[in-house]
Amino acid sequence: MNFQYSFSRRRFLALSAAASSSLIMPGWVGKAGAAPLAAIKEEDAIIAFGLTGPVSDEGWNTKQNEGAKAIQAAFPKAKTLVVESIPFSADASRTFRQFVQEGAQMVFSTSNYGDFFASVVERSPEVAFLEADGRRVADNLGWYYAAHWHPTYVLGVAAGLLSKSGKLGFIASFPVPMAISSSNAFMMGARSVNPSATLQVISINSWFDPQGANQAASALIDNGCDFLFGVMNEASYLQVAEQRGVRAAMWSSDMRRYGKNAYVSSIIPDWTAFYVDQVRKRLEGTWSGGGQTLLPLGGGIDRDAWGETVPAEVAAKADAVREKIIGGWSPFTGEIKDTTGAVRVKAGETLDEVALYNWDWSVEGVSGLST
Amino acid sequence: MSWRLQRFPSPKPSVALAVRAVAILLALVVGGLVVAVSGLNPFALGNQVMKSTFGSSFGLEDLGLLATPLILTGLAVMITRRIGLWNIGAEGQFYAGALAAAAIGLFVEGPAWLMLPAMFLAGVAGGMAWITIPTLARAFVGVNELITTLLLNFVATLLVYYFATGPWRDRGAGTLGSTPRIRYEMPELWGMVHWGFAIAVVLTVLAAAVLSFTRWGYEVRISGANPENALYAGIPVRRRIIAVMLLSGAVAGVAGMLEVAGTVHRLQGGISNNFGYLGIIVAVLARTSCLGVFAAAALMAFILNAGIILQTQGLTTSAIVALTGLVLLFTAIGDEFAHYRLVRADRATA
Repeated sequence: MNFQYSFSRRRFLALSAAASSSLIMPGWVGKAGAAPLAAIKEEDAIIAFGLTGPVSDEGWNTKQNEGAKAIQAAFPKAKTLVVESIPFSADASRTFRQFVQEGAQMVFSTSNYGDFFASVVERSPEVAFLEADGRRVADNLGWYYAAHWHPTYVLGVAAGLLSKSGKLGFIASFPVPMAISSSNAFMMGARSVNPSATLQVISINSWFDPQGANQAASALIDNGCDFLFGVMNEASYLQVAEQRGVRAAMWSSDMRRYGKNAYVSSIIPDWTAFYVDQVRKRLEGTWSGGGQTLLPLGGGIDRDAWGETVPAEVAAKADAVREKIIGGWSPFTGEIKDTTGAVRVKAGETLDEVALYNWDWSVEGVSGLST
Repeated sequence: MSWRLQRFPSPKPSVALAVRAVAILLALVVGGLVVAVSGLNPFALGNQVMKSTFGSSFGLEDLGLLATPLILTGLAVMITRRIGLWNIGAEGQFYAGALAAAAIGLFVEGPAWLMLPAMFLAGVAGGMAWITIPTLARAFVGVNELITTLLLNFVATLLVYYFATGPWRDRGAGTLGSTPRIRYEMPELWGMVHWGFAIAVVLTVLAAAVLSFTRWGYEVRISGANPENALYAGIPVRRRIIAVMLLSGAVAGVAGMLEVAGTVHRLQGGISNNFGYLGIIVAVLARTSCLGVFAAAALMAFILNAGIILQTQGLTTSAIVALTGLVLLFTAIGDEFAHYRLVRADRATA
């Protein structure tokens, strides 16, 4: 089998043994198939990054910017362009077109800009495009993301053990697969140790809105939630949790300095190895479109070191689950019911990585996401 | 020999125009200074902006795409200025027009030649509906339309978010909830610029003609300049207010429809891109001239487009927001100055 990207070999063996349709791999769920784009000299290379928010958010965009910096460090003669805070509007098309106009040969869209991105991809066949959280591929386009549901399930286990009320809160952006799979994995992790736990979700129509996240956090705590999680790009709800004396888990980076008592852990992606590898391929002339990448637990996505107020036995129990997942066990195995109580995954069946990536219904116990 | 300032009730057009030019130039100079202070070369950046904007059909197409909604929202605000009112709600009417047009595009099937006009009418109706309450409140109870139109913007924004991420959501689409793609699309006129650009131009010219050369337009202007006199002259001021405000809402609604059918092809939160608010700046820059809307919208489109180019050169978004603010600030100051003339005291009193 031709590997495009190295990942945990142990996990691959375990999964390929388990999966009869072994095309579904961790790391890569589909490999690039188109003819490679021509090689580029390092000194001529322009690599562009479109970010959704400020690089200073200490979350998603800071992490993406680290990826850009890693590329710059690995290929010092290449030029990287980074544009922050691109709105999810027709302005996104303008920015991506401008990248092409500036001569970029490779463009990373660090979020899913839908048609705004696709329209530029279609018109620029000589440019390599990669889209985080994307769904489409083309001869010059691939998508990548991380299998965040695995570490999220681990944090869910910790939340189920730590919550006294059994009421968990989740601050979402939009009812899109990323937020749905995240809240589902968190709920299932919590229910694995506390079957009566519930998860209330509030969507704030933004990935970066500290004020909105604050209000949502306060509302959830007022409702009795004593553990908050979410998919925000910044740390504001952790500060609310700290003030109100509840716990919180975060996304993207170690945010414990914003609430050291409340901080439990965080889902931390690391794009650097993948990004450098992709750029290297582009420069060598071996990059081609069609790639579908999900960085696996332990190979690009993981939990952060546990917070200082997390009891050792809670950490140990959650970490045991983490080890099991790395060993090839999937927690997303039936029977799984949706919010109406209908069985959506039968006993013995397992949702594969692509199904988890595209998850568009909430599991039993989750409320508040319109699905 | 002493000097004093003489104030004119309305400035001479030539002076007003010159002051405009100076104000915009000053804003650019201040912007350039800020760029220089932050360690970048303003001349190299300026050169880059000009090259990227005017040196390729790509840049010009972007200008056309940006100018289309700006012309319409600018026109929407400007025509209420003719009757002495402010429609601060073009943003909300834009959303309402987009929502109504998307509803038709998503849920009604038919040939494109029929559906696009249907969406257009839906956009008109949506925009009008959104300004109806402020209009009636203004016309019958005298409620300040500044407040009512502004506040309804937030309602419209959230309403669109509700539909786009709720009942009309495209499952699995994107990181931002949006509706499925609407299959009826405005045909392209030139490159990426769709026929909406032509519609915006035609509507503006029509509005200019009606407001300047018809009795109705004259009555509107008199109602705006002096409502009491207008009433005394037998002009139905209330009816003119209602007509002008509804028209204004309709124009902003068309802008929303065109953004859905021409550029974005889906309904989503944030689809307005602040065009409704930017329309206020366009209208202020255009003064009360319909044709001035073209120049002002082109200038705003240029600044916004320059913003995108400059971001790829390492400037932040906030720098561009600041620049648009500076243009407005200096223009407002300049407009006030344009009312004055320095005269020698002895001659003026003679």
